[in-house]
Amino acid sequence: MSSGKPSEEKSEAGAGLMQYSPESMMPFGPVHPSLKEPEYFRLVLEGEKIKEVIPRIGYVHRGIERAAQERTWVKDIYLFERICGICSFAHSICFTQGVEALSKFEVPRRAKYIRLVVAELERIHSHLLWLGLVGHWAGFDTLFMWVWKDREHVLDLSEAITGNRIHKSYATFGGVRKDLPDDIKDKLLAEMSFIEKRVKYYDELVSSERTLSVRTKGVGTITQDAARRLCPVGPLLRSTGIARDVRAEDPYAAYDEVPPEVQFRTDGDIASLLSLRMGEVLDSCRMIRVAMEKLPSGPFRTPVPRSVPAGDSAFHVEAPRGELFYYSKSEGLSSPARVKIRTPTMANLLTATEMLKGRPLADVPIVLTGMDPCFGCMDRVSVIDLDKSKQWAFTGEQLREYGIEYYRRLL
Amino acid sequence: MNALEVFELLVFPGLTFFVWLAFVFEWLERKTAARMQGRLGPVVTGPFGLLQPVADFFKLASKEEIIPEYADTFVLRWGPALYFAAPAVGVAFIPVLGFQSILYQPLDLLVMFFLLSFSTLMAAMLGYASAGRYSTIAVGRLVVQYSSYEVPLLLSMITPAVLAGDISIQGVVAAQGSLWYIFLAPAAFAVFIVSALAELEKPPFDIPSAKTEIVGGWMTEFSGNTLAYVKLTKNLSYVFLSALAVSLFLGGPSGPVIFGNSSAQAAIYGVYFLVKLFAVGFLIFAIRTALARVRIDQAAKLFWTVITPISLAQLAVAIVIR
Repeated sequence: MSSGKPSEEKSEAGAGLMQYSPESMMPFGPVHPSLKEPEYFRLVLEGEKIKEVIPRIGYVHRGIERAAQERTWVKDIYLFERICGICSFAHSICFTQGVEALSKFEVPRRAKYIRLVVAELERIHSHLLWLGLVGHWAGFDTLFMWVWKDREHVLDLSEAITGNRIHKSYATFGGVRKDLPDDIKDKLLAEMSFIEKRVKYYDELVSSERTLSVRTKGVGTITQDAARRLCPVGPLLRSTGIARDVRAEDPYAAYDEVPPEVQFRTDGDIASLLSLRMGEVLDSCRMIRVAMEKLPSGPFRTPVPRSVPAGDSAFHVEAPRGELFYYSKSEGLSSPARVKIRTPTMANLLTATEMLKGRPLADVPIVLTGMDPCFGCMDRVSVIDLDKSKQWAFTGEQLREYGIEYYRRLL
Repeated sequence: MNALEVFELLVFPGLTFFVWLAFVFEWLERKTAARMQGRLGPVVTGPFGLLQPVADFFKLASKEEIIPEYADTFVLRWGPALYFAAPAVGVAFIPVLGFQSILYQPLDLLVMFFLLSFSTLMAAMLGYASAGRYSTIAVGRLVVQYSSYEVPLLLSMITPAVLAGDISIQGVVAAQGSLWYIFLAPAAFAVFIVSALAELEKPPFDIPSAKTEIVGGWMTEFSGNTLAYVKLTKNLSYVFLSALAVSLFLGGPSGPVIFGNSSAQAAIYGVYFLVKLFAVGFLIFAIRTALARVRIDQAAKLFWTVITPISLAQLAVAIVIR
């Protein structure tokens, strides 16, 4: 080479490149074509084989929990919706139901049913979005385009019901903000038939299309024992044969009257995740039909007092990605004293990195996204250090010290 | 070499003609993929968006070029030109307006073998010279993939030569007459198309440039002018391989000629050639759109355990027929 052999201490990037060891480091993110949100995974490779995955989280930390303490309870609903650009309704109903439990509001039955319908619509749209992305990540853009085109139908329904496609601003304390439109039932039932037809087709497609099935069968397998050890949530857990679903175990909204048929698969690989999520979409379609048949009449909202009595409550819902957890604490003031959120991606991240070890590099996008990551939801102040295999959460004071120390080092 | 020959070589039906075909191929690829995926594809620039690839090329060429700190600047400066040269020279051996190609040589099929290998070699050199992590991994994949598909690709190209008893493209085209070799050796044609997908890094064999895994593959570190030419070269290779398929399996420009003097005949031959070329191109676009990407180990296994035996069997059959 004409440029000669560069000295190793020139920079860290160059040094790693010129070492002729069998192991090499490859950055995956924070800016990478297959990551739609910034997150950094340091991959230690031996050839194409992954030896170690070290995630570093926190690139989209927005201080939402702190911001929530500055706002009123009602404003917080709309703030928390902004945590996730996909499952925003799960966040808002988790928060509102937690606060309703805290202040012992009784929500009208009709509102519970409407919440169920919108939550299931969101599940369908989230799972379809993921299916499309799996196609994209596996290099199958045609699937991506097709699925996302069909997903538009669900978003249109969401717009017809709530007025918005994604950030619905629909749930509120004591019910929902407006009633279902008069003509929505026929539209919903017709669209559910359409979605069912398409999803059955995609289910068959992804299992019979050879180039896709060789990329998903037996890839990213997680055993039941490992799942018990690493505590993933949602579809990732259910794909290993552990049928846990908050909707069935601790019903909220109208799930006690319209129970889900909890889907589970036993292989624990990407193929079973695909089939599991398609099964969940079909089940959601069924639940929306049942809910629309049983939809009670009556008010969709009860007026509630502005302040929330002192106390605390923890609430969890089954978001499309798994169990979403909210802890809210009130001191009887107009804004919450503390809200703690644990999103499903946080719980699934370690499992996903475990699934990657020993796999070829080509499997990184498809395995990493098997958990349907939502890094924007996840990023809050918690630190995982796989180098020292340690995990901890900063307290406020520690974080402040760390921040001061960090910037001092930069200066 | 007189002025007419220089014109033929550089303008029509030589380099310029094929470069424009490369732009049209990119347009057709984008349009086919878009229509299959329920989209519109390019519509803004030119009629039906036909000029979009040209606009993209000039826009990219006018961008700032960033050369990585550790890159081998000598290779990065001169490599793209050599990389471009491989298909640019190759197309001059394709008969377009009749059975005579511009740079006819009695053994020119061997030159094709060389050019196909050379093109991959240059890609590997460019990838290594740009000294990025993604490029390095991509070149590893490129070389593994190349060593897998080279044997079936060459075997499938030898099969028509065996059937024709002549190792020049012109000879193969002339020997086909009314019975194209796609009918005599369908498996060889299929193997050629599959290997061409691998050579062109198109799905399901876009492994060395897998966007969601290794960003831009071996082209990650390229920008501006260099990237514009590298992309143009890939499109030109597209045309080159399709033109090879037309010449070796679809009778080249041959077809029923009803009337006319020599220039009218040439025009009709040219039309036949273009129709066949776009048919082959369309076949590749359709396969490319309908499949997902496989892993490099799966691709190597597929080529060595399935496609190479098929091409060997086809060659044996061809020898027996002959």
